[in-house]
Amino acid sequence: MHWLLWSVVIITVLMTTTAWALWLERKLAARMGSRLGPTMVGRHGLLQPIADLLKLLQKEDILPEAADGALFNLAPILTAVFAIATVAVVPFGEGVIAADLDIGVLWVLAFGGLMVIPVWMAGWASNNKFALLGGMRAVAQAVSYEVPLVLASMVPVILAGSMSMTDIVHYQQQHSWIALWPTLPGLPAFLLFLLASLAESNRIPFDIPEAESELVAGVSTEYTGMKFGLFYMAEYIHTLVSSAIGAALFLGGWSGPFAPGLHWMLLKTLGLFVFIYVVRWTLLRFRQDQLMRLAWVWLVPMGLVLVFMAAVVVVWGGA
Amino acid sequence: MMQVAFGLVAACLLLAALFSIGSKNLVHGVLWLGATLAMTAVLYLMLDAPFLAGIQLLLYVGGVMTLMVFGVMLTRRHADLAVLREQRRKSRGAFVAAALFGTLAGATVTTPGLDAPAAGSATTVELGRALLTEHLLAFEVVSVLLLGALIGSVVLARKRDFGATR
Repeated sequence: MHWLLWSVVIITVLMTTTAWALWLERKLAARMGSRLGPTMVGRHGLLQPIADLLKLLQKEDILPEAADGALFNLAPILTAVFAIATVAVVPFGEGVIAADLDIGVLWVLAFGGLMVIPVWMAGWASNNKFALLGGMRAVAQAVSYEVPLVLASMVPVILAGSMSMTDIVHYQQQHSWIALWPTLPGLPAFLLFLLASLAESNRIPFDIPEAESELVAGVSTEYTGMKFGLFYMAEYIHTLVSSAIGAALFLGGWSGPFAPGLHWMLLKTLGLFVFIYVVRWTLLRFRQDQLMRLAWVWLVPMGLVLVFMAAVVVVWGGA
Repeated sequence: MMQVAFGLVAACLLLAALFSIGSKNLVHGVLWLGATLAMTAVLYLMLDAPFLAGIQLLLYVGGVMTLMVFGVMLTRRHADLAVLREQRRKSRGAFVAAALFGTLAGATVTTPGLDAPAAGSATTVELGRALLTEHLLAFEVVSVLLLGALIGSVVLARKRDFGATR
């Protein structure tokens, strides 16, 4: 029953963290724009996420007349389920993991890839031009960036010789962070992973499926109340989990001196999370064709070279 | 316990497959196909093949589904995505399906040793090693076949492209 307990604990902690990650992002965005951000509800606006949630729950639930009802309702649920499913294999510490699967990395990649289906479903079921365009863009982007993401994740897998998250962290405890050494496939692979997971979770500069200045709100145009809330939450969970996976695969996971492992894991995860949001509020949005060119002309060949290098390091450098 | 679970999963799989071919709406059909493929992944999990299940989710549900969605969106206007169904071909289709089922079922039943318990589930490492040593030839033949298909599709697509530009 140990895994059941951890599942409940981890999901609860994740939901709470997501709420305050939202607060963190709003504060960060505000400070970067010389604003104050939320200040009214609670000290420093710390209770703002609760107020937001209560507001979302009270909103009217609107189902557009021409929408495909079943798919319209199913899409936000599936998005949230797939986002939460990836948390199962995130190692927060020695043994603090909901399911230490033999195929941990594959599991994350599979569910990350599935995320696009409910997004497209929402775009199609809304029966709205902007939503459909957003959905199409999401599909095109996911197909392109899934490939470099898989290739980048293969570098730690090849170096550690295992797809289990725990094994990869153990490997880094015995050697060093993969982002640091071996530097040549390690560091560029880490950067590639960050870029591709930015694209996977639809963050600026890769947020063309939503693109509020072009597409109203993209796939979530027709959604109201808590259904919109689920999309919003899933996006934040996905970003948080991507940060956690990046920390585990490339930054040594829970290993670190002085403090218990959980602190280090959370610190590294939050570090990557903040980095992603600094990028979001710094850069502009790419155009669709620029995005595709970047993925296929630069990132995919780069990923292939990095995987090859990792194999060379293992054969000639390692054992 | 396992039998009941298998029954449930198999029933869901068959239902999803039926909906997939039965739905008049092409988009619904594709999504039901996705459900069918996902249920197949669950079957793999129950057969102690987690790696295969992961690959099934990543490639079929994640990849192939996405491409099919693309195909559906590019074919014609979305407002009336209805599947044309011809009644008189139904019996022929049923015959082919029955023949295929009979062949597969016959092969499964007559192959000896299939009901023996598996010798423990293979880890991903063992699986990779087996693919690159014992089954290297089959592995390479399949990759050449896939490469051929890839190049072939590019050639076919390019030909139409050239026609359009010149």
